[in-house]
Amino acid sequence: MNRDKNLPLTETVYYILLALLEPAHGYLIMQKVEELSAGQVRMAAGTLYGAVENLLKQKFIQPVHSEDSRRKVYAITDGGREILRHDYERMRHMLEMTNTIMG
Amino acid sequence: MKKVKFFTNFDHEEQWLNEMARQGYALVGKSFAYEFAQVQPENSNYRMDYRIFKTRQDFEDYKVLFEDSGWTHIAGTKSSGSQYFKQTGEQEIEDIFSDVDSKAARYKRISDMWLSLACCFIPLFAVLISTDAIDVTAFIKPKLLYYTPGLWDMNGGQFWQAFLFETPFAFFRGFTWLIIPVMILVYAIFAYKAKKQYQNTQQGR
Repeated sequence: MNRDKNLPLTETVYYILLALLEPAHGYLIMQKVEELSAGQVRMAAGTLYGAVENLLKQKFIQPVHSEDSRRKVYAITDGGREILRHDYERMRHMLEMTNTIMG
Repeated sequence: MKKVKFFTNFDHEEQWLNEMARQGYALVGKSFAYEFAQVQPENSNYRMDYRIFKTRQDFEDYKVLFEDSGWTHIAGTKSSGSQYFKQTGEQEIEDIFSDVDSKAARYKRISDMWLSLACCFIPLFAVLISTDAIDVTAFIKPKLLYYTPGLWDMNGGQFWQAFLFETPFAFFRGFTWLIIPVMILVYAIFAYKAKKQYQNTQQGR
């Protein structure tokens, strides 16, 4: 099977993409990720900065216009939505299989 | 107080800065030397990142992100590479990195920087060699580097005076180019050390 080489996404990347379905700046992303993961994923500033940089390079997110001149704001791209959807399908399949076997 | 010190390991540098703070010297700036202000001895948490920014705006956005998360940017400029932070907030996270990969990646970035610096000097070295600017015979016959007429026929005091006077000039004439291969070597060693540290950090050592 020919699967996208970016799959599976890491837990952190998955939550960042999920958070960026609505535009947000760096610190807001960190807070959203913590909230979405029920406090399981706590990112530090340096790690988030690197993750955002990678996602920009992969074109899964893009900078959008910001009122705040000091903070850059990002949002998910179509490519980002697609990879998120693929990873969701991948995990759903895993859950279904697990459910069938373990009941 | 100013202090000159050189590190090739960020973890050791952070520990040293924290130790200085415990002795009452808080880092306030870094250019060539570290600049410390005398303060009440404190338990501080200094952390380092290594990044060079393309634009002023990128740099500003970076600093604001850290400030939002409870870290004050103490030293470092847009293109200095090393960025120094001090923890201000009471947040639980005590590091600016929350996984080993991103903690290791800063060593990868500085290693690449040293390597490109080393590579910058290689074409220069190649030009010097190909234009015969480097005279290798100087190693075999250093006598040729002395231009004083009749130097080697002089005797006693007169010889030594003329010889010693010209030696520094002869040395520069023959060996200045050595600085370049030495620099290439030194930068390559730094790049190698940082690369090793990158691998060690990634493996959680």
